[in-house]
Amino acid sequence: MTSATSATSALSVRNATKIFGAQVALDNVSIDVAVGEVRALVGQNGCGKSTLIKILAGFHEPEPGIEVLIGGSELALGDPVASEAAGLRFVHQDLGLVGNLDTIDNLALGQGYITNVTKTINWRKERTKAREALAALGYEINVNMPVAALQMSERTAVAIARAMSERGTPPKMLILDEPTANLPGPEAQRLYQLVRRVADSGVAVLFVSHHFDEVFEMAESVTVLRDGKLIETRPVAGLTEDALIELVVGRKLEEHDKGEAVDREHGTEVLQLSGVGGRNVSGMDLTVHQGEVVGVAGITGSGREEVAALVFGGHERSGEILVEGKTLPQNRPDISIQRGVALVPAERHANASLLDQTLRENITLVDPGRHMSLGILRRNPEKSDVRVWLDRLSVKPSGKTEYKMNQLSGGNQQKVILARWLRQEPSVLVLDEPTQGVDVGAKADIHTLVDEAAAQGAAVLLCSTDHEELVRVCDRVVIMRRGRAAEILRGDKITVDNITAATIGRDSAEPAA
Amino acid sequence: MSEIQEVAAPRRRINFGFDKYSGIYVWALLVLVFALWIPDLFLQTSTLKQVLTFQAISAIVALGLLLPVAAGAFDLTIAGTLTVSVCFTAWALTNGHGIVVAAGGSILIGVIIGLANSLVVVKLKVDSFIGTLGMSSVLIAIAYMITDSSQIVLSTSGYAPFFEFARTEMFGLPRSVYYAALIALFFWWILEYTPGGRYLYAVGGNPVASRLAGVRVGRVTMIAFISSGVTSAFAGIVYLSTIGTATPDSGSGYLLPAFSAVFLGATQIRPGRVNVLGTLVAIFLLATGVTGLQLAGAPSYVTQLFNGAALIIAVALASRTARRQG
Repeated sequence: MTSATSATSALSVRNATKIFGAQVALDNVSIDVAVGEVRALVGQNGCGKSTLIKILAGFHEPEPGIEVLIGGSELALGDPVASEAAGLRFVHQDLGLVGNLDTIDNLALGQGYITNVTKTINWRKERTKAREALAALGYEINVNMPVAALQMSERTAVAIARAMSERGTPPKMLILDEPTANLPGPEAQRLYQLVRRVADSGVAVLFVSHHFDEVFEMAESVTVLRDGKLIETRPVAGLTEDALIELVVGRKLEEHDKGEAVDREHGTEVLQLSGVGGRNVSGMDLTVHQGEVVGVAGITGSGREEVAALVFGGHERSGEILVEGKTLPQNRPDISIQRGVALVPAERHANASLLDQTLRENITLVDPGRHMSLGILRRNPEKSDVRVWLDRLSVKPSGKTEYKMNQLSGGNQQKVILARWLRQEPSVLVLDEPTQGVDVGAKADIHTLVDEAAAQGAAVLLCSTDHEELVRVCDRVVIMRRGRAAEILRGDKITVDNITAATIGRDSAEPAA
Repeated sequence: MSEIQEVAAPRRRINFGFDKYSGIYVWALLVLVFALWIPDLFLQTSTLKQVLTFQAISAIVALGLLLPVAAGAFDLTIAGTLTVSVCFTAWALTNGHGIVVAAGGSILIGVIIGLANSLVVVKLKVDSFIGTLGMSSVLIAIAYMITDSSQIVLSTSGYAPFFEFARTEMFGLPRSVYYAALIALFFWWILEYTPGGRYLYAVGGNPVASRLAGVRVGRVTMIAFISSGVTSAFAGIVYLSTIGTATPDSGSGYLLPAFSAVFLGATQIRPGRVNVLGTLVAIFLLATGVTGLQLAGAPSYVTQLFNGAALIIAVALASRTARRQG
């Protein structure tokens, strides 16, 4: 049974349903992507978009009743090999490249090398082939350099080049996961062009995204999923960002009211940095007051990415840091914690999560001894303690203290890490990219929690590349340039445009105090 | 966070406990097979006693290994430590020192070996597998030095009080079995019911995240190495008291069974992490298989065959579990 639309569609999915236990992850979703179309797939964490992608990739067996056509012919489901043979190609967010191998080797992985009669590798041909593959995407790179040494957008290009290679059948559809999530502005621009080229070559592109700028820049149309259901597919032209947010969340996001500008800058000094330096940062002075939220902005390499670790004591540093008048020693996170400092680090998988341990163990890691009596950790009080925090941060599914961390979606994992620290009632809360890879709803929740922590008297230092986030929560924003705190924005000077301008060094704001 | 890797709700399937308790099922099956095959030899209380007694030392060594492995470090010195402890104790006793000096000295040696291992692994940042592999060779050399490359035999009459240490029977079982039980209880408490246990598993799970959550990763690793050093040294004293002879290869048969038991144990009771009960199940599962086969007339090398195969199967099972969870 072929519907009228699927004759021209690169991908046509009819009635996709997937049930896990009692939970309907995907509920009767149908979607068509035309040849040469670039389609964004958006929705909150847990909305079913990953499930849909995994069905296409052959990792999940969907419920019966589904029909998937690739270029008009039916796809055998539940078999990754069949998906690949049908022309579906996937690029994951982590790209799946081997960092210490060069582009040639990475392209050859999984498809083999061109060999001479003697079965030795023909490097000359391999090199030419690799160059051509990247040139077709608009990239000219040194194909003999380890890919770890390439720029992020170049690495993404290598991964896409690998996905787009022949491998038996020509690619019909490229599926990307948050392709520009980690890219700074100009590099993201290059990638938009790359995707355009891919689409122009007659391949359909479907990408999963949390980043609305990439949706608006790159996609022609957008499909929104919510709670496993298809909400709508719309052309991007004529769509506003607010309208899209409303589709994703299902309600209007509450307008954040900054309220009256309270002068917190002259309250009690909680965190003081004087002459702090590290690998990229030097001579940084900063004071954060009780109840104040200070943002740190800066482009990659400006020192912004190091500030959180320096304050917390995770790195070697020079200079002095005082918390409520007491010196923080360097390289001793345990003492920093005793003095009331909390750190929600960037890249939670590497720096914060115990992925195969329970939410309970993840949350109480900082002070597992809290519920100890007579030499024994009491599990029940610990569970109820943790449950309170899971509820307070509305972690979903709710109340599952014994779930493993890796059973949660990204936004919920981040909330668990935040719960770990809020439970300590810190006097200094340091956040590094707290909403990286987190959906709109969870992001709003996290911002509210930061507000609350500040309202309860914590001094908050928020390092972020998300300028809207800085505007949303900060009383002051420190701009890092070339390792120095170059400017400070205050009050109504804190706008996305001003921050962006200041980070790239246009002197539009007042000089640092 | 990669969306495609995001994991949906856990599958529900009917659970007979084959995941967590497969070892106990296999063990029951082994008992049944041998009971039918060689009932007169196998179904004897003496067989049970033999299994428990022979495994007491292996169990102590394997339990000692739990802490480093929980913290993500290999300790390949366990057998070498046992050997040095055996040789030192025998040397001290035969040179006129008292039991307290001999045993106390052995325990102290265990502490020193643990400290040396942590120096190599924590301070010098040598990979624990390589670092302790090198250390274990050094320990064998020390054992040869102590014994002057021969063996030290303690005569049964001359050292009766020392032999009582492990051999005296209570309720039909030698003391060594009770020592193993006490040590198991102790490590079970540490790993399951103390903050220290949480720190060990956290360091084993993600050392970077643990450090940023205030865990003293270096110190935790050091304590784990010292604990395994002391436990192996204690096993050496029990060994000498049980066997009565010290040679520079006394410990050679204890390394692999300990690793087999710990890794096979990690697939049991609390799948995915090394744990005390799982380790005990694994030890007795392996011992039952080996003893049954030997009673049925199999050659003595089945022990090595069994332990080696068990280690590989255990790790294969563990990675299968990890894949299913991942």
